[in-house]
Amino acid sequence: MDKRREDEEEGEEGMDEDSEDSELLRLMARHTQLNDLLYAHHIIGGYDAIETRQGQGLCLSLPTAYDGVFLETYNLEIDVKPTPRIVRHNIPPFIPLSDLVEQSDMQTDLRTFLDTLSQHLNAFSGRKQQLKLLKELHKSVEVMESNALCSILVMMVTVPKEKTDVLCTLDYSDHTRCLPTRVHFECNGKLLADSPDWDKIRSLLLETPVHKALSDMRTMGNIV
Amino acid sequence: MDDSARRLLQRLIRRIPAQMLKTTLEKWGRLTAAQKQSMDFTEPKWAFTERLLDICEENGWTGKHITELEMTYVIDNPNQGMWYAFQLMDPEDDARSVELTHFKEQFKSHLSELARPVSVKIKKHADDAIWIRIAWGDSFSRPNHLKPTYVVHHLQTPYVFVTSLTSKQKPFLSQALVLSTRHQAIKDASLSGRKLGAIRDLLMRQYQQVFPTSYPSPLAERNETVSNPQIEKEQAKSAENRLQMACEAFGDGMLPQLQSSVYKLETKFKDHTNKTMTEREEPFRCVVKFASTNLLESLRHCAASGIASTPVTPLLSSIPLKGRNYFVIKDNGPGPSSQTRQTQN
Repeated sequence: MDKRREDEEEGEEGMDEDSEDSELLRLMARHTQLNDLLYAHHIIGGYDAIETRQGQGLCLSLPTAYDGVFLETYNLEIDVKPTPRIVRHNIPPFIPLSDLVEQSDMQTDLRTFLDTLSQHLNAFSGRKQQLKLLKELHKSVEVMESNALCSILVMMVTVPKEKTDVLCTLDYSDHTRCLPTRVHFECNGKLLADSPDWDKIRSLLLETPVHKALSDMRTMGNIV
Repeated sequence: MDDSARRLLQRLIRRIPAQMLKTTLEKWGRLTAAQKQSMDFTEPKWAFTERLLDICEENGWTGKHITELEMTYVIDNPNQGMWYAFQLMDPEDDARSVELTHFKEQFKSHLSELARPVSVKIKKHADDAIWIRIAWGDSFSRPNHLKPTYVVHHLQTPYVFVTSLTSKQKPFLSQALVLSTRHQAIKDASLSGRKLGAIRDLLMRQYQQVFPTSYPSPLAERNETVSNPQIEKEQAKSAENRLQMACEAFGDGMLPQLQSSVYKLETKFKDHTNKTMTEREEPFRCVVKFASTNLLESLRHCAASGIASTPVTPLLSSIPLKGRNYFVIKDNGPGPSSQTRQTQN
C-alpha cells in the first residue's frame, strides 16, 4: 500500500497501469498458490474432484496406501442431476459398493459416503499388500487359502521343535480393517489347545500385520 | 481301467496338442520320474496313448485320475468353446462370509440331490478361482464324462462362468450355485466369449480404465515421446481429444479380448422415403452383429481415428461399461430396465 502511494505521488499516467499490474500479479500469485495447494492435497491422497460434461458429472479419485506406500487408485464417475448416482467406476465387485450407496445419502453427505468407501478400499489394499509381502518375504510359509477380498488367510507354518506343521487361519471379518478379527491354529486336524506360547502368537497375529508378525515369529524361533 | 476310462484317455490325448503333452503331464504330477523317462513324446499319438494306458494299468488308475488330467489341461488352456457369464443376485447376509470348504460341500450335496447321478470335481486354482467339472447322467445312464460342463467362480464376487452347459442341465446348476453361494437368484449376464480370461477381466474390471483427471497418477512413469520439432501434426488437439474419449469409453493398454457384440433390434422401422415399411405397426426385427478378433480394441481404434463419432455412443460404450455383449433394443421410452435401452445423445 505504501508503494502505491509513492507511485501515486510520482505521476498520474503511470499509476493506473502499475496498480493493474500489481493487482494482476497478486491474482497470479494467489492462483499459483491455490494450484500448489490442490496439488499438495492430491499428493497426500485426497479425493481429486473434477467436473465433467459441463457440470453434469463429477469424477472422483480414491487413492489407497499402506505403510507409507501408494497402492491402487480407484475412481468414481457420478452424474449429478437429477440425484447423484454412480455411472462408472473401477471398484472391484467384492467391495459392497451398492450397499454403501444405499446406506448413505449421496445428495447431502457425499463426504461420509466417500470416507466409508475409502476405508473399505484402503483396508482391502492393505490386506492385499500384506499377502503379497508375505509371499515374497516368507517362502517357507505356504499359503493354503486366500480369497479375492483377502478376508481370509490360511497358511501352513512349521514349528522347529516338533517339526510339525500347523495350519494358521486368519479371519478378517471386519472389512474396514487391515488386521484380523480372529486367529486359530490347527495341528493334525484338531484345534490347538490353549497354551501360553500359542496365545502369545495369537495376540501377535491379531495386532501386527501378518508379514511382520511372521518375521517376529521367525526371530523368536517359533517357526522355521 | 474300464472301457469308458480308456476311451476318455484316448479322446483326451487326441485333443491335447502334441507340444502341450509334456507340460500337461508334468502339471498333473502323477507320473513317477521313471515313468516320465519312459514316455516318448515324439512318437505318434496312438502309440503314446498306448504307453500311457499301460502306465495307468500298472498304477491301477481309474477314470477319476483321467478326469483329473483333463481338468489340469482345461484349467491351463481354457480358451476352447464358448464361455458364458452369469450373475448371482440378491445375496443373503452371510453370502460375504462363504468360505471354500463350505461352498464345496454345499455345492456337491445340492447338485447331487438335484441331478442324480452326477459326478462333480472341484479344484481351487492359485488365483482364487474355483473350478468345477460336472459330468451329467440320467436315470438310464451313468455320468457322461465325454461331455463335461466346466464352471469357474470366485467367492465373494457375483460372477460365474460356464462352458458346455445344455438348457436341460442349466436349472440344476443354477439352483446348486444359488444355494451354495447363499444368494437368491442367478441370471444370465448377457456376456459371452471364447476367452475365459477376457470376460472375467471385463466383469471384474481388471483392465486399465481411464477417468478424467487433472493430475498424473502418483509415481506413474510418464513415457514422454520426444516429438520431432520439424514435424507438426495438423489437428493434433482434436486427435488428442478423440483418443482421450476413446480411452475413457473403452480403456487403456491391453483390452479384454471379446470376439463379438450382438444387438437384437425390436424397433420400428424409420425411413421417410419408405412409407410401406414405416407404416407397419410391428417392430422391424433384425440382428446386428459386430465381430472381430479383438472387438474392444477395434472399437477403440474406430473412435480414436474418427471413424466412429465421439463422444462414443452408449450402444458401443455399454459393452465395457455394463460388461455385456448382447443387447435387446426396443422403442420404449428411456427406462431403468437393464435390457431395454434407447440411444441417448
